[in-house]
Amino acid sequence: MTTTMLSQLFTKRSASRLLTSGVFLASLVMAGGAFAEQRSGNVYGLPPCVTTTGLQIDSIIKMIFWLTAVVFVLTQGTYIYYLIVYRRRPGVSAHYSHGNNTLEIIWTTAPTIIFLALAIYSNRVWEEIHRPAPDNALTIDVSSYQFGWQMRYPGVSGKLAPMDVRKITPQNPFGTDPENPKTAQDVISTDLVIPVGRPVHVLLHARDVIHSFYVPEFRLYQDCVPGRTIGWVWFQATQTGDFQLACNQLCGTGHYNMKAPIKIVSEEEFQKWLTPRQQKNAGIIPTPPSVPVVAPSPAKAASLTAPVAGNKL
Amino acid sequence: MSVSITHDSIATVETHGKSHHDDHGHRKPGIMHYLWNTDHKMIALQFLWSATFFLLFGGAMALAMRWQLAFPGHPIPVIGHLLPHSVVNDEGAIIPSGYNVLVTMHGTILVFFVAMPLLIGVFGNFLIPLKIGAGDMAFPALNELSYWLFALSGILMLSSFWVPGGAPGTGWTAYAPLSSVAAYNQTPMGQTLWCAALFVNGLSSITGAVNYITTVITMRAPGMTMFRMPLPVWAIFLTAILLILAIPVLSAAAALIIFDLNFGTTFYRPSGYGQPLLWQHLFWFFGHPEVYILILPAMGLTSEILSVFSRKPVFGYKAMVWAMISIGFLGFIVWGHHMYVSGMNLTLSAAFSVSTMVIAVPSAIKTFNWMGTIWRGSIHYTVPMAFAVSFVSMFVIGGLSGIFMASTPVDLFVHHTYFIVAHFHYVLFGGSMFAIFAAVYFWFPKMSGRMFNNTLGWVHFWMTFVFFNLTFFPMHNLGLGGMMRRIADPTVYDCLKQLQPLNVVCTIGAMGLGLATLPFVWNIIWSMMYGPKAPANPWNSTTLEWTVSNPIPHGNFAVTPTVYHGPYEYSVPGLAKDFLPQNEKAPAHITLEAH
Repeated sequence: MTTTMLSQLFTKRSASRLLTSGVFLASLVMAGGAFAEQRSGNVYGLPPCVTTTGLQIDSIIKMIFWLTAVVFVLTQGTYIYYLIVYRRRPGVSAHYSHGNNTLEIIWTTAPTIIFLALAIYSNRVWEEIHRPAPDNALTIDVSSYQFGWQMRYPGVSGKLAPMDVRKITPQNPFGTDPENPKTAQDVISTDLVIPVGRPVHVLLHARDVIHSFYVPEFRLYQDCVPGRTIGWVWFQATQTGDFQLACNQLCGTGHYNMKAPIKIVSEEEFQKWLTPRQQKNAGIIPTPPSVPVVAPSPAKAASLTAPVAGNKL
Repeated sequence: MSVSITHDSIATVETHGKSHHDDHGHRKPGIMHYLWNTDHKMIALQFLWSATFFLLFGGAMALAMRWQLAFPGHPIPVIGHLLPHSVVNDEGAIIPSGYNVLVTMHGTILVFFVAMPLLIGVFGNFLIPLKIGAGDMAFPALNELSYWLFALSGILMLSSFWVPGGAPGTGWTAYAPLSSVAAYNQTPMGQTLWCAALFVNGLSSITGAVNYITTVITMRAPGMTMFRMPLPVWAIFLTAILLILAIPVLSAAAALIIFDLNFGTTFYRPSGYGQPLLWQHLFWFFGHPEVYILILPAMGLTSEILSVFSRKPVFGYKAMVWAMISIGFLGFIVWGHHMYVSGMNLTLSAAFSVSTMVIAVPSAIKTFNWMGTIWRGSIHYTVPMAFAVSFVSMFVIGGLSGIFMASTPVDLFVHHTYFIVAHFHYVLFGGSMFAIFAAVYFWFPKMSGRMFNNTLGWVHFWMTFVFFNLTFFPMHNLGLGGMMRRIADPTVYDCLKQLQPLNVVCTIGAMGLGLATLPFVWNIIWSMMYGPKAPANPWNSTTLEWTVSNPIPHGNFAVTPTVYHGPYEYSVPGLAKDFLPQNEKAPAHITLEAH
């Protein structure tokens, strides 16, 4: 088994990939690297960024990257230089010194100023990212459970049926009010379908344990906490495409595979997807492509002890 | 006993210590000599052997995880089918729940059963009395009790593998309500044992810390003022204070999980009006000081080794001490940076990010002072020096990657990715473990009375240095590529499939790093029995432990030493030898620079 795998490793393609990694790492260590800037094979840097806030985050990452790269090269360079020139040489004894107070003050003040400036700048962006969602935002209830996701879209009224986190039970997974007529109109989906160019406001919920809403291409991580509504997360997609929503908070046996498809589509396509479903739930026209609503069953966990599907390198 | 410390009162305490020693000074028959021994030097060795066992055990679990990440679903070669069925399937491949167990136990064991006992149990015990000129710890029996509480907690932790449901798989952070509700984690017994083990482990830490603090405050030799104490003593003293303040919070939080799991309480369960975030606040209120508990002693040990082999006084001794004190203080107001995106109030996140940026300052100060220490030195490259030098380099990398996560918006992206895995391994392995290796080699001649094998030491160093970086540097890229931590199979995500070659590189590095540990373990075992006899002061050091003969007699010092000056008087101009021990008066014609 092992030999097959090793031979697989050194097939032409993977060997060249490995070689590239090695060469790349070496150059990274030597030059301090510039990996935030390069991404040819999509292996050595950031994944594509498809939200407006993500672009702001990328610019801070780049800024901190260059700041730390300069500090890295200067400190490690000086350090290595000292290690070489001050090695033990015959006839030369060490310089007797207990320190220098001026230097201490300089290297205390300088980092303090840099770090505080960075903290202030970061928190401005933090505040901007978390400003209230615009009025034209599409609101989606994102509900997480062991081990999957369900999304709830507004029905024909354009408004989500009200919910209460304390009412979330296995029978009422969204915590909505069954008496409310809007409840039956809500559109339930296992995919997160969103229109490009329009702000999307997600209300994050967890039915059992803490999960997290993580999409690397959105540059977005937020825990979903049981017993709470996390209501400050919104984003605006800048391009269409297919992505994956991942749970990134260890939530149990099936955690590694707790994902949901994300489809960013044009506004037109989005309406084509949402409207028939809204109309069906409102009883206006019965359109067949219904989305299965699956309540999480604890028995499912048992099936998850099967081995993970093998990866062909 | 009076609180103010005069030379007389120190002498009194010292005599007390001595008279106590006469009670147990004779060797107990047979194995009892090793099982119940109140000599601080023997307790240090007990911690050393236990922690080395856990190092191999916890390290092997990391290798299993790396195997799974590089080759998901493939059976582990050779030993796969020997592993318990809570971890692998019939073919010997790791199952998802087993992967979670590995994640949990690797983290827990490496933090509580390797890094803490090695730094605090081994070097706290061995060095404090010897370095301050005391005969033993203030409470020798309590000291041995601390070891046995540690051993008991280890047994409790390991026993969780054999209870129904197996060991817990909720991560070393054990976030509630996953950890506190049996229906969610399906390992209530294992989780209860995990909590109980941490509780007992906490008792061990607290008894140890009480002892260290008392010893440092009351048992210093005449002339050993606080600002003449060697930096490792300062570091472990401050660490002991952090332990006393932080550990009880974890113990209480863990006890609440036991209640939630077994007695129907709902401290962390929202359906019973509990608060999941309460656990995170309690855990990280302990957890962040814990980070500094693991790095402060490493900083202290490294500072001394750099000074000895550069033949230069520590640059900015007082700045070093004040930096450690401010780290200790600030360490208690930064816990929220683990929770920027936990659902905590957003303004709190912003506030915590400011304190987090500020705590980087003392670390920067220490780095500059280490560079100042080797500057214009006469650097003698030995195995301990190689590890100490690398510590500084690796710590700088870990510190710089920390700045990314301290910035709140960046954390929105890199939180819980491999970027953070890279970061804390650079600090905990590149930092703490490198310092531990340096210190084990440095004090080996004093601990065992014998020299280690130099060739094996160099082999260990180069393999560790190369493979450590090969393992953990690519993880920065994996994290920036979006790879989540704690997932049993990255290939289930489309965007992570392309990162697989990097995972293979990390795994190759990890296998090398695992192999690198073997020459180390072999070296200390073999050299302790058959190594050449070591001279009393092989490195020409100035501190008090090197003034006693090998093997160190019971009570350490035949005559209580008197201390005349600071700890690091190397290359004093006008002296015939390039070091001036703390218990030797400088000749009248020489003035020592104030430090």
